[in-house]
Amino acid sequence: MKTEELLINMGPVHPSTHGVLRFKLTMDGEIIKKCEIVMGYLHRGTEKLGEMKTYMQFIPYTDRLDYISAFPNNYAYVKAVEELAGIEVPLRAEYIRVLTLELNRIVNHLVMLGSLLLDLGASTMIMYGFRERENALQLFEMLCGARMTFNYIKPGGVREDLPDGFIPKLNEFIKDMEKRIDDYEQLISGNEIFMGRMKNIGVMSAEDAINYGMSGPSLRGHGVNYDIRKIEPYSVYPDLDFKACVRHECDSFARYMVRIDEMRESLHILRQVVDAMPPAKPVSQAKYGIAPMTGAPTAVSTYFPRIFTPPVGEVYSRIEAPKGELGFYIVSDGSIKPYRIKIRSPSFCNLTAIPKMVEGLMIPDLIAAFGTIDVVLGDVDR
Amino acid sequence: MDPLTIDTTKIKMTKKQPVTALDKLNDTGLISTVLAAREREGLILFSTIDQVFNWARLSSLWPVTSGLACCAIEMMATAMAHHDVARFGMEIFRASPRQADLMFVAGTVTKRMAPRVKKLYEMMPDPKWVISVGSCANTGGPYHESYSVLKGVDMIIPVDVYIPGCPPRPEAWIYGIIQLREKIKNQGYGAKWGLNK
Amino acid sequence: MNPAEEIKQLFPDSVVSVGHQTNKPLAIIKKEGLLKIAEKVKEMGFDNLSVITGIDYGDRFEVVYNFLSYTKKQNLVLKVVLGHENPEVDSLASVWKVADWLERETYDLVGIKFRGHPNLKRILLPDGWIGHPLRKDYDMSVDQFVTVGEDGEDIVSTDGSNLLRR
Repeated sequence: MKTEELLINMGPVHPSTHGVLRFKLTMDGEIIKKCEIVMGYLHRGTEKLGEMKTYMQFIPYTDRLDYISAFPNNYAYVKAVEELAGIEVPLRAEYIRVLTLELNRIVNHLVMLGSLLLDLGASTMIMYGFRERENALQLFEMLCGARMTFNYIKPGGVREDLPDGFIPKLNEFIKDMEKRIDDYEQLISGNEIFMGRMKNIGVMSAEDAINYGMSGPSLRGHGVNYDIRKIEPYSVYPDLDFKACVRHECDSFARYMVRIDEMRESLHILRQVVDAMPPAKPVSQAKYGIAPMTGAPTAVSTYFPRIFTPPVGEVYSRIEAPKGELGFYIVSDGSIKPYRIKIRSPSFCNLTAIPKMVEGLMIPDLIAAFGTIDVVLGDVDR
Repeated sequence: MDPLTIDTTKIKMTKKQPVTALDKLNDTGLISTVLAAREREGLILFSTIDQVFNWARLSSLWPVTSGLACCAIEMMATAMAHHDVARFGMEIFRASPRQADLMFVAGTVTKRMAPRVKKLYEMMPDPKWVISVGSCANTGGPYHESYSVLKGVDMIIPVDVYIPGCPPRPEAWIYGIIQLREKIKNQGYGAKWGLNK
Repeated sequence: MNPAEEIKQLFPDSVVSVGHQTNKPLAIIKKEGLLKIAEKVKEMGFDNLSVITGIDYGDRFEVVYNFLSYTKKQNLVLKVVLGHENPEVDSLASVWKVADWLERETYDLVGIKFRGHPNLKRILLPDGWIGHPLRKDYDMSVDQFVTVGEDGEDIVSTDGSNLLRR
C-alpha cells in the first residue's frame, strides 16, 4: 500500500501552544517524522528599544519579557547594571529581593501546572492554581501596587520598604500553601491517566540536553545537578540552606516532579528569609539633604540618581529564573543610554530541544512534552 | 410696513380654530408620528422584538480565545473562580471563531500576526463585536516606537470598546464588558425613540 | 591559571590579547582559528554555551561567546573582531547544538553570516524583511507590512493598502 507524508500546521492561534507559536509537522500516519518550529509572531523589538531608553527607563520593558514571573527579569537586568557600575546594595534590600524571587517562583510553577493539565484535558488544577495565585498577587499588590508588571527592583535596592501588615499575611500564605501542595500531589501524581500520558514520553539523554542548551528545572529532570544558585551564588543565597531538586528518569514525569519539589524548597527558603530579615536601620537624611522621591538613601536603597553614566565596559550576568538561566549582556559606552543589550532567555534555548525530543511521537505526546518544558512566548520572541 | 420697525410685543398670535374633520385629526399629532416612522424605514411595531433580541445577544456572548501576550494572563485570571466572568454568560471560550461572537484582542499585535488577526475577525459570523484590551492593542502601548509593532488593532479591524491598562485589572475587564452590554442594549430601532429603558 | 591564559599558551598565533570582561577572563582571537579553539574549549570542560552576541560598532563588528563550565565552576569569554563589509565567521553548530538558533538570531538581527551553518535563515522576522534592525544604520522611518500569500507564507512589502482600514 502506498503511503504519503502529510504536512500539518499547528498554527499560531491554537489553545495549547501557550501563546502564538507555530509547529510545522511532517507526519507519517500518526507518527511525527519532522517538527519545524516557526516563531516571531510576538517579536516586539525590545533589544532595539533598549538602545533608545536610559537605564532606568528600560526596567518596565524587562517586566514584559516573561510576563508570568516578572521579578526575576527585573532582577537579572538590575544585577547586570550593578556589576557594571559597582553599586552596593543594603542587606535588607537583598533579603526583600530574595523574598520576591522565591514567591514568584511558586506563582510561576502554579501557572505551569495549571496550563499543562488544561492541555491534557483536566480543568481542576488550573482553577486551584489561579486561586492560590490570587493570594500571592494580593501580597504583591500590597508591596508595589501592581499585579503582574512590577517595576519594583531598581539599581541600588528596591523601591520601597515592606508595608505594615505584610509579614503576618505572608506567614499565612506559607502555612496555607503547604497543605495545598499535598492536595495537588494527591490529585495529580497518582492518577493513572496522567502517569500513562507522561511516563516515558519526551525522553532525552543528559548529554544531549546540556548540548541543546537546556537549563533550569527542565534540565534537572534529566539527572543533571546544575543550579546557578549553587554554582555562581549571588545575593544572600550562600547564607540560606536549601538543596537543588534533581530527578533521574529523563522523561516528562520527572520534569513535572522537579517543579513540585521546587515549590516546597521555595517555601523552606521563604521561612528562613522571614526569620533572618534584618531590621530597617534609620538613615539620616540630613547628610544628603535630598527628598526621598529623588532617590536619597533609605533603609532599602542606596543613593541612586535617575540618570547616570556607568563606566565604559561590558558585562554578562546570569540568574536562576523559574524557567532556566536568564542572562543580560550589556555594553556601555559611557553615555546615559546603553549601547547594546542582549537578552539570553531560557525559553528560547529550551525550545531548541523540542524538534529532537519529539521525533517518533504522536501529537498528544508532543503537547505533553512541550507543556513540561514551560515556554512563554514573550521570552522566546522578545 | 417696514419690517425693521414692527413692535413684536404688540402682535397677537391667534390659533386657527379647527373647522373640518381633517383639521381635528391633524391636531392630535398621530398622522405626523406615523409618517415620520415610515420615513425612517422602521416600523414602530418591532421595538419590543428588538428588545428581546438585544437581551438574548448580550446575555450570552461567547468569546474566542485570541490572547496574544501578557493581557492574556489577566484574561485567564478574569475567567477563573475569583473574578468570575461566567456570570455574564461567557461560560466557555470557544476555540473556533466560527462559533463565537466576541473577540478580545488582548496583547501586542505585531506586523507578522496582523493578517492572522484580521482573518480571525473575518471568519466570525455576524453579529460580532470586538473589544480591544490593554494599551498595546489600543495604540501600540509601550512598544510604540518599535519597528515591528502595529500601532493599534483598530488599524485593521473595527473596535467597539477600548479597555485601557497595562495590563488592566480584572475589575477593569468587567467594567469594559458591562459597557459593551450597554452598547448592545442600545442597538436596534426601539432605541432611537427611547423605548429601551 | 585562568582559562584564557591556557588558551593563549596552546594557540599562541591565533590569540590577539588576553584580558578581563568585568570579572570574567576574556580572550580576543582571530576568526581563522575559531573552530579549532572552540573544539579545545569544549574538551576543557566548558559544556555550556550561554549566549552569542553580535555588536555593530560603526566601523567593525564583534561577535562575543560566553561559556560556563559547571564541573569546574569557571567562566570564559571569547571575542572575534570582524571588518565592516560582509562580516562572516565559522559556525559552531557542529560543536554545540544550541548555537544553531543563536546564530540564526544573530544573522537575522545584526546581519553576520556564519559559514557551514545547516540552515541559515531568518528566525524572528519574516523571510522577506528588508534590512537588519540592530545595525546602527537601519532606517526606522520606513514601515514594512506583512500579508499572507496563497500557500500560507508571509509576504513583506512597504505598502499596506490591502491590510489597513484607513
